[in-house]
Amino acid sequence: MSVVLTARTHALPFKLAVLATAALTVSVLALPGVAAAETRTFVVGYFGQATHNVQDSECPAGINPDVTVQYLKNLVTLGYSQAEIDKMVNQSADNEGGSVNEIMRMRGRVNGQPTNPYAYPASVTDPKLNAMTGGKYAYGFDLDGKGAESPKAFEDPETHQAGVDNEMARAFGCSRAFRGSVNARSAYWSWAWAQLKDSQPAWVITITGADLAKDGDVTVTFDRALHYLKSNIDGTPRADTTYRIDPDPRSHNVLPGRLKDGVIQITEHGSFRMLQNPMVVNDFKLTNTHMRLNLKPDGTLDGILGGYQLWADIYSGFAHSAPAMEVCITGDIPGLYYLLKRHADAQPDPKTGENSAISTSYTLMAVPAFVVSPDGKLAGGG
Amino acid sequence: MRPTPINFSKVRFALALGLGASLAACTVDAPKSAAVPAVLAGAANVGVPGLEPITRRLTPEQYENVIADVFGPAIILGGRFEPEMRVGGLLAVGSSAVSMTATGMEQYDVMARKIAAQVVDESQRKMMIPCAPAAANAPDDACVAKFMGKVGRLIYRRPLTQTELAAYVTAAHAATEKAGDFHRGLSLSLSAMLSSPKFLFRQETLEPDPRNPGTMRIDAYAKAARLSFFLWNAGPDQALLAAAESGALNTAKGLAGEVDRMLASPRLETGVRAFFTDNFGFDEFALLTKDVVLFPKFSPRVAADAQEQTLKTIVDLLLKNRGDYRDVFTTKKTFMTQELGAVYRVPVINDGPNGAPDAWQPFEFSADDPRGGILTQVAFTSLHSPPGRGSPTLRGKALREVILCQKVPAPPAAVSFNIVQDTHHPIYKTARERLTAHATESMCTGCHKIIDPMGLALENFDGAGAYRTTENGQPINTSGALDGVPFDGAAKLGQVIHDHPATSACLVNRLASYALGQQLPAGDAWLKDSTAFFATNGYRLADLMRRLATSDGFYRLKPPAEAPKAQSASAASAQ
Amino acid sequence: MNTVTDKLANRRNVLRGMIGGAAVTVGLPFLDGFLNSHGTALAATGAALPVCFGTWYQGLGFNVGRWLPDRVGPNFEHNVELKMFDPFKPRMNVISGTKYFMDGRPLETHSSSWQIASTGMLLTGVNSGPSLDSMIADSIGTRTRFRSLEVSLDGSRGSYSNRSGGARNPSEASPAALYARIFGPEFKDPNAADFTPDPMVMARQSVLSAVAEERRSVMGQLGASDRARLDEYFTSVRQIEHQLGLEMQKPSPLPACSMPEKIAETKVGRTVVESETNNKLLAQLMAHALACGQTRVFNVQSGGNGLRKPGSTQTWHSWTHEEPIDPVLGYQVEVTWFINWANTQFATFLHALDGLKEGSGTVLDRTTVLWQTDHGHATTHTMEMLPILMVGNASGRFKTGQHVALLGDPATRVGLTMQQAFGVPIATWGQLSNETSKTVNEILA
Repeated sequence: MSVVLTARTHALPFKLAVLATAALTVSVLALPGVAAAETRTFVVGYFGQATHNVQDSECPAGINPDVTVQYLKNLVTLGYSQAEIDKMVNQSADNEGGSVNEIMRMRGRVNGQPTNPYAYPASVTDPKLNAMTGGKYAYGFDLDGKGAESPKAFEDPETHQAGVDNEMARAFGCSRAFRGSVNARSAYWSWAWAQLKDSQPAWVITITGADLAKDGDVTVTFDRALHYLKSNIDGTPRADTTYRIDPDPRSHNVLPGRLKDGVIQITEHGSFRMLQNPMVVNDFKLTNTHMRLNLKPDGTLDGILGGYQLWADIYSGFAHSAPAMEVCITGDIPGLYYLLKRHADAQPDPKTGENSAISTSYTLMAVPAFVVSPDGKLAGGG
Repeated sequence: MRPTPINFSKVRFALALGLGASLAACTVDAPKSAAVPAVLAGAANVGVPGLEPITRRLTPEQYENVIADVFGPAIILGGRFEPEMRVGGLLAVGSSAVSMTATGMEQYDVMARKIAAQVVDESQRKMMIPCAPAAANAPDDACVAKFMGKVGRLIYRRPLTQTELAAYVTAAHAATEKAGDFHRGLSLSLSAMLSSPKFLFRQETLEPDPRNPGTMRIDAYAKAARLSFFLWNAGPDQALLAAAESGALNTAKGLAGEVDRMLASPRLETGVRAFFTDNFGFDEFALLTKDVVLFPKFSPRVAADAQEQTLKTIVDLLLKNRGDYRDVFTTKKTFMTQELGAVYRVPVINDGPNGAPDAWQPFEFSADDPRGGILTQVAFTSLHSPPGRGSPTLRGKALREVILCQKVPAPPAAVSFNIVQDTHHPIYKTARERLTAHATESMCTGCHKIIDPMGLALENFDGAGAYRTTENGQPINTSGALDGVPFDGAAKLGQVIHDHPATSACLVNRLASYALGQQLPAGDAWLKDSTAFFATNGYRLADLMRRLATSDGFYRLKPPAEAPKAQSASAASAQ
Repeated sequence: MNTVTDKLANRRNVLRGMIGGAAVTVGLPFLDGFLNSHGTALAATGAALPVCFGTWYQGLGFNVGRWLPDRVGPNFEHNVELKMFDPFKPRMNVISGTKYFMDGRPLETHSSSWQIASTGMLLTGVNSGPSLDSMIADSIGTRTRFRSLEVSLDGSRGSYSNRSGGARNPSEASPAALYARIFGPEFKDPNAADFTPDPMVMARQSVLSAVAEERRSVMGQLGASDRARLDEYFTSVRQIEHQLGLEMQKPSPLPACSMPEKIAETKVGRTVVESETNNKLLAQLMAHALACGQTRVFNVQSGGNGLRKPGSTQTWHSWTHEEPIDPVLGYQVEVTWFINWANTQFATFLHALDGLKEGSGTVLDRTTVLWQTDHGHATTHTMEMLPILMVGNASGRFKTGQHVALLGDPATRVGLTMQQAFGVPIATWGQLSNETSKTVNEILA
């Protein structure tokens, strides 16, 4: 259920008589059938793939090459001789990489004809990029319920839960731009966030429970706001700003959960959907959604969101910014297509038996914010 | 001087004798409860005969307002105005002392040419210029005279003399011949008028006072200018000039009618804002910096919105609701933007689309909220704080000087501020503890006793104006006393300021000094009378402004020491 | 009258007359004074050489933590990444902490920043504002052969210089082509060329002459202290008359003007080798163009995005995205190589301006070059904590030798300050959150 508590009688916005000192933790009067509740609201200040790449041994076959080297490999695959390649490389120094880039931008082959490799990744020979076969750790959850018995399970580096399913971490874990950790966010994801944060409508989180200082049942709601994330002058997310929820029902998720020792785990594992700006996956959808959120003593929140995601969605997030995205970031976008396809581990297609979804996890952090419902009422009352 | 214990009734008596005196002594051996402003100093000097005539340089806002009035708000001016100077707490008083540097003159010259070029621009000239030249490339003296006479009246704040008009006609004639273009010539003549000292400086012209033969008075046009810059922060409009021309302004009835008209105008808000912006020293925000690590929320937008919040609070209370001036120190009503809401940690709901500029929303703190009154607003607490911390001393000093008109002496030389500035001091966790330790240095004690308690009451607000209840883990003690009246917390301090007799007397003093461009002498009888009027009429700002603007004291003049020779010269503003 | 001193003496007499309060009728026209801003006599040949302004746009910023100087104010030390600017330290400012504000508008990573840096706003088609260099050119460069000169070091024809409406001034990438443009057959030696006074200057002079008497009448009714203040006004007016007087004369010879040697065609491209070669040549040409008064405003697009080492298709830009941060060093090694390289190119350019001596100074001494970038942190392409450099004080228009921190302020404060210092008549600059009326007073002389 969506809990937008509006028990106070002040007519907003003309008489927002909120005690400034206690504005973030607002007790509200009882609604019929609901125990006296506490609501805390946040705005998401970072969101990106949860990665935990800390040593090269995670990639026994090596880290995937940068685009320069990968393109040369692709030329070989396309049948160019070493002499031809050498000539092209020398020429490319004169014409700004022109001929190599031109070939790469049409390196797919359909009936022998050059084809756009991003729109038709299957037209490219699989470059067989390396996946993270040597790593033991990945953030996430035991999505398939098989526990440590699961053949490909990771261990969560934070909770040390066994049986974590996170094949996206495996698929991308040896590509440079995706490698990163909590302390050194991956180049791709931190770049993507920096591009999005000042313009895409922010995500807001509402947490309601009887007493958020104690263990008990809670409800976690994710919504999209009408405003972009406000930042402090040093670029960090700005706390205590007011966001209004976009009434668009596509970005509205109500997740029952349980708070224990300051950590919320959601208890029902349905679907999750939020819209994003199109530079990344513009329609972010998960099934078998898992989430844990740490309510931190400084008033902020961080956590991990996991579940199964259609890998075609992830791929299209990269493909529609190609080829610029390829040169800048990933090294080989069709290569990512094959990685995702190869490591997909859920939702088999009834006809082909091929998995359409991949297990994944994302990290988020959030700072306190005021959240206003589409009809203008302050979450948690006022 | 040895201060004695005092209560407000004594203060009232003291004020009657001399407001604005210095807290000269800050005596070190002052008794515990006797942190008393030395308002008794100065003593009676009642009945000052008159004031020096003064010449003020237009402020940037005044220049801007005049140009917008004459040529429309779409005119882009620009350029860097010369720095202003604060005297006696007011830039308006400093405007009587500043001159014009070569760099400043260069800017005025550039601005004048830019403005004039827009006025004669092909797209504008039909609207701006009441005539077309006989030929586009030849002088047309009649057309120039018509135009320059019309705009000159507003720019010079009086009709041009024949000599003056002739000079501009000659100028345009010569320039047209050189440039081969009538409008270029006209524009250069206009730009010369816009950089004339008679526009850039507000000179007050004298004339013999027919009611008191042998004495002088400022003429009706100078009177009009005084009124308009005081009430609107702009030059006189056509109606006011007409009242000057007809002599109506020299009659009590005519003057009252014009003042009432101006007070009823929405432009009064411009004037009131200009006064409080000056009085509160908001120009100093331009130099204000905050430590980004400690106060990451304090963006330039917050600083701008904070000033606007205080001005909006004042305008809403004093003009829109005709409220009691003293309530600006206690009111729970204000306005918020989303940007400010983050600092105040309160929700601010507006309906703008993604990324739309912040809209102002009315906001009211609850009755038990520690916020209330402009002293608890971000503008006051952040402006009077150094970059990395709050400062009870700076805030207390500002309160004494700006709100109560009491001069606090500068700290003695060679004093160590190490303890005060060390916000991570291992022993002294709160500002109160640090100041107590600092003030044990005997030469500091006296002054700190007078200025700190009020500042300490605002210690719940950090250097950027955000609320806090502890410093370095220690609870903050906000109790204190102002001139013997105890309080605890910012809200109570606001009430004490509200009730303090110096508060309203100070406003009258500042407002009058602002209007007249000079510091008024201590004990001025007219001020005393105005202060009494203010108190017995509900402390209403507009009523006070009317009282000042319609009273003889506002226009009284001491003739210059040297007889004005220009009276006999042809170039004087004879009409 | 025989000498400047004679004129001055007469002027002083006139002044004394006015201070004394007498309504003196002055027959002497107001236009023939020769006073500089200190009121001292100025020899006809001692007129100051014209000031110049340049921009240098270098993409991809610096490494966080490797450029920010150790302390704010004067007496700062350059951080490692800016060490090559040590020879210019007393003559430059490092300005840190500013931002480009997007106000929720969609980010086009690389173009948004440049638009704000150069025009103070995100471009809006025909409503787009002019870039700051063209505003400055309108102020200081109206009488030169070229209103401004644009060059690029990355082979492209682009620039960030535009007039209103968004049309860009194209860059010249080829030194040989730039040579032909400046020093080809159309070039006239400025020291030999004929001089035609500007009729508008003559018109302004005649206006000042016509209103002089009228203005002086203001003194009539003033008290002594006000007379002294107004006297300062008249001194300042005479400064303007003096400047007009100078404009009416044939300009002083440009002592460092000489024809550079003709330049052979060089390869134009995007590798660092080509860029470095061309930078040296373009810098020399630009220095000579300034020394010969051919322009007073220039724009250098140093690029960044497309630059690469020879034999590599990996560009500086792609390195920023793809290269892992060295766990020991704490920065991207390849990216850092490019930053160092690019800064060295800028230093080379500055040395070229500084190498042309003019009397006791150099061309750089009468120039200010404003260095701006698109990102505060290349790896994440953020537009916060931007570095800004300015080198040269434009004959004393700026205070230099400082590190100025403007944390969280719009970067447009610097652009506004530049424009105002070069006499552009604007009070505010930029749009929405990038709008500012706050100059950086720390750097204004």
